[in-house]
Amino acid sequence: MGIITVTSLVCFVFAWWDVALVAGSVAIPTPAETWDALVELYNHGDPITGKSIWDYIGSSLSTFFKGFLLALVVAVPLGLIIGYWKPIREFAQPVIEVMRPIAPIAWAPIFILAINYTLGPVLVVFIGIFFPLLTNMIFGVQKIEHNLIDAAKTMGASQLQIFVKVIIPSSIPFLMNGIKIGLGIGWMCIVAAELYAPQLSGIGFYLAEQATAGFWPGAYSAIVIIAVLGIMTTGLAEYIHKFVSKRMGVDA
Amino acid sequence: MSEIKVEGERYKAKDRVRLDRTDELFKDIAEGEPIMNIEHLRVVYKTDNAETVAVEDFTLQVGKGELISIVGPSGCGKTTILRSIAGLLQPTSGKITIGNKECTSPGSDRGMVFQDFALFPWRTVLKNVEFGMEVAGVPKEERRARALKYIKAVGLEKFADSRIHELSGGMKQRVGIARAMVMHPAVILMDEPFGALDAQTRNIMQEMLVKIVEHSARTIIFVTHSVDEALYLSDRVVVLSKRPSTIYKIVDVPGNRPRDRTDPKFTELRKTILGYLEKQNVME
Repeated sequence: MGIITVTSLVCFVFAWWDVALVAGSVAIPTPAETWDALVELYNHGDPITGKSIWDYIGSSLSTFFKGFLLALVVAVPLGLIIGYWKPIREFAQPVIEVMRPIAPIAWAPIFILAINYTLGPVLVVFIGIFFPLLTNMIFGVQKIEHNLIDAAKTMGASQLQIFVKVIIPSSIPFLMNGIKIGLGIGWMCIVAAELYAPQLSGIGFYLAEQATAGFWPGAYSAIVIIAVLGIMTTGLAEYIHKFVSKRMGVDA
Repeated sequence: MSEIKVEGERYKAKDRVRLDRTDELFKDIAEGEPIMNIEHLRVVYKTDNAETVAVEDFTLQVGKGELISIVGPSGCGKTTILRSIAGLLQPTSGKITIGNKECTSPGSDRGMVFQDFALFPWRTVLKNVEFGMEVAGVPKEERRARALKYIKAVGLEKFADSRIHELSGGMKQRVGIARAMVMHPAVILMDEPFGALDAQTRNIMQEMLVKIVEHSARTIIFVTHSVDEALYLSDRVVVLSKRPSTIYKIVDVPGNRPRDRTDPKFTELRKTILGYLEKQNVME
């Protein structure tokens, strides 16, 4: 971390402190109060549900990764097929264009109430990650350098071999880009979905519970946890993106 | 894999040969005898409201072991001809045959070297050279050994495990050449292979190509816009007319390779060919 990064974060904490003191509202606790609530949660868990901090984090992470894996498994093959075959693309594009601008969170009440409390949030995360993955995959397949396909043809590769050995590897950097964007959106979805779900689990639930009980520092500590987990996942995605791009011979 | 089906002809059991060694199909053809026939090639590009004739009545017989250069005014369709031979482009009419097999689709019997290299950036040098053998199903050990042999022939033995983006332009094209040669194609098509390189590297690459050709008698069709390059490398120089391109003149280049670039007889030939090209430009 550079000196400017550290200064920036320190300034942020002081600004928060200042606003909390000036406003003097219970709805804006100071960083110190928030920190105390966080330590309290860490040491003793949530007295209302009896769950520990790790239960909440684990539950959110598990929902998150289930949604992510589901999106990966569905979006990657679909993106390859849609990107590769023009008639399928022409068929799929209108549907994608209709569905894509819908905020993933809009699906939360429907999925959670119509399906169930555990699968619902997973599906919201899935929707959030699915579209960036899909559109990046489609884009990646179409962006392939045509000369590479020609080169493979002149070496006697069949259509299937070209697909497997040329088109798939050359679209992987685009897939990584989709993952990077998707993970960011996924984090927004998970917490919002948990707010809806009275499933007694997940950071989002803890946030809603604390706010409802009027215990504001607890609600803010939940937001801090969300921020830290978000930075960690996107940081991880960034790292993998760089690593894979380098391996695939593309400048990251 | 062991049987090659071609249009109108099926190779018999005794002619069976692995697809990664198509030169063996034509080993009975003596050096200098025609190995490839291009007859009345015609390519028309169709757009919504217009037809452009890119190539008109291009007929050429290529001898085994011959190095033929194609030069012509820019935009005249040199690449179109090469792509038609490679099978990457369907000619409107005309016939291209290798031996007695008609070429209608791309195949490893015609190797291609691209101006912008067209190497796979996610593969190492070795894996790039192995690609053709990999898709032909050559066993791992064998393809590795063969690939390394050609990587050595182009002077990249220290870079076998390097990635493509770590190489300079000249090195990249060495990989491109090794990748085409390793398949033992009947004909190697080179589309301005040194066009993207600086003059110094270009000379080095030409010398390397000459060395390789002298060692392994390859049949090469070489598209270039450099008359000097054509004269330094080739047995015959095909001068194309402007679009629609057809053969304007064929110039025989005497002398064995390696040649002396400063030889006065090349100066004469150079003048002649440049004169032909000049005429093409004037006619416009």
